[in-house]
Amino acid sequence: MTVSQEQAAAQPAPAVTPVLELRDVAVHFGGVKAVDGISLRLEPGLVYGIIGPNGSGKTTLIGAITRLTRLTRGELLFDGNSYLDRRASTLARLGVARTFQTVRLLPDLDVVQNIELGFDGRVQDGEKSNRGSWWRTNLGLGTPPEVAQAIARTGLEGFERFYPSELSYGTQRRVEIARAIAMNPRLLLLDEPTAGMNQAERAEISALIKDLRADGLCQLLVEHDVQMMIDTCDYVFAMNTGRLIAEGEPREVVQNPLVQEAYLGRKWREHAADH
Amino acid sequence: MIDFFNANQVLVQATLSGLVLALSIQVPLRMGVFSFAGAGSYGLGGYAAALLVIHLNLNALEAIGLTIVITAFVGLLLGLVISRLNGLYLAMATVAFDLIISVVAINGGTFTGESTGLYGVIVDFTTTTMFIMTVVAVLLVALSERGRTGRRTQAVRDDQQLAASAGVNVRRYRLMAFVVGGALGGLGGAMNVMVRTTIGPLDIGFGLVVLALTMIIVGGTMSWKGAVLGAIIFTWLPHFLDFIGQWQTLVYGVIVALAAIFLPRGIHGVIVDIIRWVQRRRRGTLDKPAPDPSGDPEPEQLLPPSGTSSISPSAPQQPIRGSVARSLLARGAKS
Repeated sequence: MTVSQEQAAAQPAPAVTPVLELRDVAVHFGGVKAVDGISLRLEPGLVYGIIGPNGSGKTTLIGAITRLTRLTRGELLFDGNSYLDRRASTLARLGVARTFQTVRLLPDLDVVQNIELGFDGRVQDGEKSNRGSWWRTNLGLGTPPEVAQAIARTGLEGFERFYPSELSYGTQRRVEIARAIAMNPRLLLLDEPTAGMNQAERAEISALIKDLRADGLCQLLVEHDVQMMIDTCDYVFAMNTGRLIAEGEPREVVQNPLVQEAYLGRKWREHAADH
Repeated sequence: MIDFFNANQVLVQATLSGLVLALSIQVPLRMGVFSFAGAGSYGLGGYAAALLVIHLNLNALEAIGLTIVITAFVGLLLGLVISRLNGLYLAMATVAFDLIISVVAINGGTFTGESTGLYGVIVDFTTTTMFIMTVVAVLLVALSERGRTGRRTQAVRDDQQLAASAGVNVRRYRLMAFVVGGALGGLGGAMNVMVRTTIGPLDIGFGLVVLALTMIIVGGTMSWKGAVLGAIIFTWLPHFLDFIGQWQTLVYGVIVALAAIFLPRGIHGVIVDIIRWVQRRRRGTLDKPAPDPSGDPEPEQLLPPSGTSSISPSAPQQPIRGSVARSLLARGAKS
């Protein structure tokens, strides 16, 4: 039994249905085990983080969750229902939104249009008017209020008619996040959302994540900035070589010797401990 | 004006059918589907319309409507078979489809008229009707470039993973590219045969792919406006180059080569770039520079700070895209 399986087994069965549940998920590329037997549960309204050194399988795991990467084995459940037979696009319409490790915006669309792309795949929450009128949606007449709201939340006012090539890397990141928010998701997967940002921008993104958490949105965050993970996440998973090596409260996980060793190597960890 | 159109009616008709042919290849390309099947559909549409008129005595509108349904359905079948292919492999498969249509036309016996083709496709179909039909087709294509469909089309073309993550059924859109390309090709071929009253194997085939691609490459691949520009230029250019006689083909070729080298997005792309440049200038000079919520004026500060994270083993090394544009904007605002 792996560490993750042991820890998963040790956890008491929670009463709430998890938004997302992974059971023994593995993604192998030939002989390379990018993800190897990951089991985890994400509950509504909490912010989860995944840390781990480069090549530990974090992004592959996000790809597997969003059905962009084929699973070798395992089970994926959204709201308690298996979605292994669903396409990535169907999953998005169910309410799973994501950002990518490297910014992926459409170069010929401006900021508003890029965010509207997310709005187009918006999850309905019972109010048909959310989709906007037929004319507005199909002829591009006017900006839907939900898109304007996503722009305001991510601090993109003033950038509406800019094209991605005219924006800094950090601002492009914010557009990606705004696009994901505009989808009105039930689960938001953020793959290194603050990469390329300065400290002030990182703090803003951290505040935005907490703001979304207050709205009850479950989020899974892949990030290298451990301080940000400590400040932002409720629960953190640590990965190395495709496996979970620790999970729990962010501070506890960061102080876990296995995690420190994964990042620094055994020699440096012992050296750091000595001093 | 009316005199001009009457005097150049054949060229006007060729422009309209050329435009619809160009759109039949441009629409799939705009969706990231490297398909030239529109040329085959054009040929198929021409023969289908001719046969429907000759054998079933259908009127022009009935024949065109039925032809569009036939070519769209054939496009769907073709898409179901080959839409999983990509790039050059897909292009070759669709060129093979075009060639198959030509081969069937030549070897179809009396049904297709073999190498002499079909004659006597006489229906009540005027240039005005052709113009109206073309405008309707262009309007529908133009609408597909706007709003939700336009955004999703671009997503499918530029980044299929992103499109899927935004809830777009990529396979359905790619199939739609074959269907729309087939319908447009069929419309172009049917209209052409009705104004010319004949069709033969020499009127279809690989030459149509070259013609359509030339129109699109020079006019612009990203919008219907590019197809319109290309169709007008390459239908009327030979007419205006008539005075140089045998050198016409050379000049024609040089124009295409120059456009491909220096205008990779075509004439329409250049116009779009100029409009965006003017918009940037306006923003930079009339308005305040782009507001930056972080308040960092120097692009260098956008780099991730070193040593600020407790663990940062892979600080991203991506270039700061757009930093030059932003500093130019800031400079423009100061001046």
